Amino acid sequence: MTTTMTTNVNRPKIIEDMSKIQVVGDERGLIEGFNVFVQQLPARFWNSFADRLVNKVEPAVVEATEYLLVNAAHECGYHTGYGIITSQEWQAVVQPMVKEVPEDILHGAFAVFTAWGWAKSEIVELVPGEKMVVRAYDYYEADVVEHGTSNRPAAYMIRGVCAAFMDLAYGGDYDPTGKTGLHTFQCEQTRGIECGDDYGEFVVTRA
Amino acid sequence: MLQPTQLNLKHEFDADRMRHYLNGQLSVLHCHHYASLYTQLAIDAKETDLLAGVAEETFAGVLTDYFQKNDTESLDDRVAAACDYFAAVGLGKMSVAYLGNDSGQIVLEESHVDKGWMKKWGQFDAPVNHIGRGYIAGMFSAIWGKPLRTYQVRETESIVMGAEKSCFKVYKD
Repeated sequence: MTTTMTTNVNRPKIIEDMSKIQVVGDERGLIEGFNVFVQQLPARFWNSFADRLVNKVEPAVVEATEYLLVNAAHECGYHTGYGIITSQEWQAVVQPMVKEVPEDILHGAFAVFTAWGWAKSEIVELVPGEKMVVRAYDYYEADVVEHGTSNRPAAYMIRGVCAAFMDLAYGGDYDPTGKTGLHTFQCEQTRGIECGDDYGEFVVTRA
Repeated sequence: MLQPTQLNLKHEFDADRMRHYLNGQLSVLHCHHYASLYTQLAIDAKETDLLAGVAEETFAGVLTDYFQKNDTESLDDRVAAACDYFAAVGLGKMSVAYLGNDSGQIVLEESHVDKGWMKKWGQFDAPVNHIGRGYIAGMFSAIWGKPLRTYQVRETESIVMGAEKSCFKVYKD
């Protein structure tokens, strides 16, 4: 069954509420939240390292390098994603809208993903337990191309997080060790703003 | 003893593009898993200098921009702002033991990179805070108005290796 993207969550409301987030380091210079340590760094730091590394390594190891960049976000999205959907902020804003589990949670998660500036994204197709297609209409990873188009998509972070959210939704109970539950899904980027498309598209399927 | 400045932090949200800006810099939240895995990737690829170099360029730019926009002229104010910014973005608690035109020593009582690595994997047998050493190199360049790559930074003690604090020596080649 493919859901036609009706959802019980009020996406504009979530974005309006959650986008007000402002964090700053505590007296230790650390930001703790969602069971993780958080930092807020310039996007160009992450973009620049990923872009330079992928373009610097030998052609034979480009795919392996990209896999590891995606995996960084996959693990991040799995653990931090779980922290977010079990947080007080989520309970206050999103949870009251959740009627269908886990589909509404997935839609809510992408609203938060949007609100917190990772990617202006939404689910456009969902086959529960099997497949998800996400479109991102604006995302910082596309900024690596400022003129012309690349023939290689570069949204490693979005790929990893999309797969992680499906792991959380359909991969079984959350496992803090990451030994189970994580990597039950994989994501491919089929379109990219950095490649000249109007949006980025991400297809998540069972691993 | 340096008196800390009141760091000016301005957060803006572009509701059309859904992007967050901190002092005009497009900024994103990421967790210690992300920072640890990027660091591990740099180590495995033998590209820790690339990671540190990107950090140096990024933060030299951020701090130079901050000094200009806030008329941060005095050495004490620049040092305090650089330490405060490091803390504000969640990278840890930094203090400057001393700073000169040619050398310096930096102490981290707390470190996001080290604490995050240990939370994820435990202690390690080598320094991992390449983001931090890049920040310090960029901070020295911004404070003194010097070109990038003017300063070398070596981590001499590391929280991730069991030390109470992380220490960095700064020098010119």
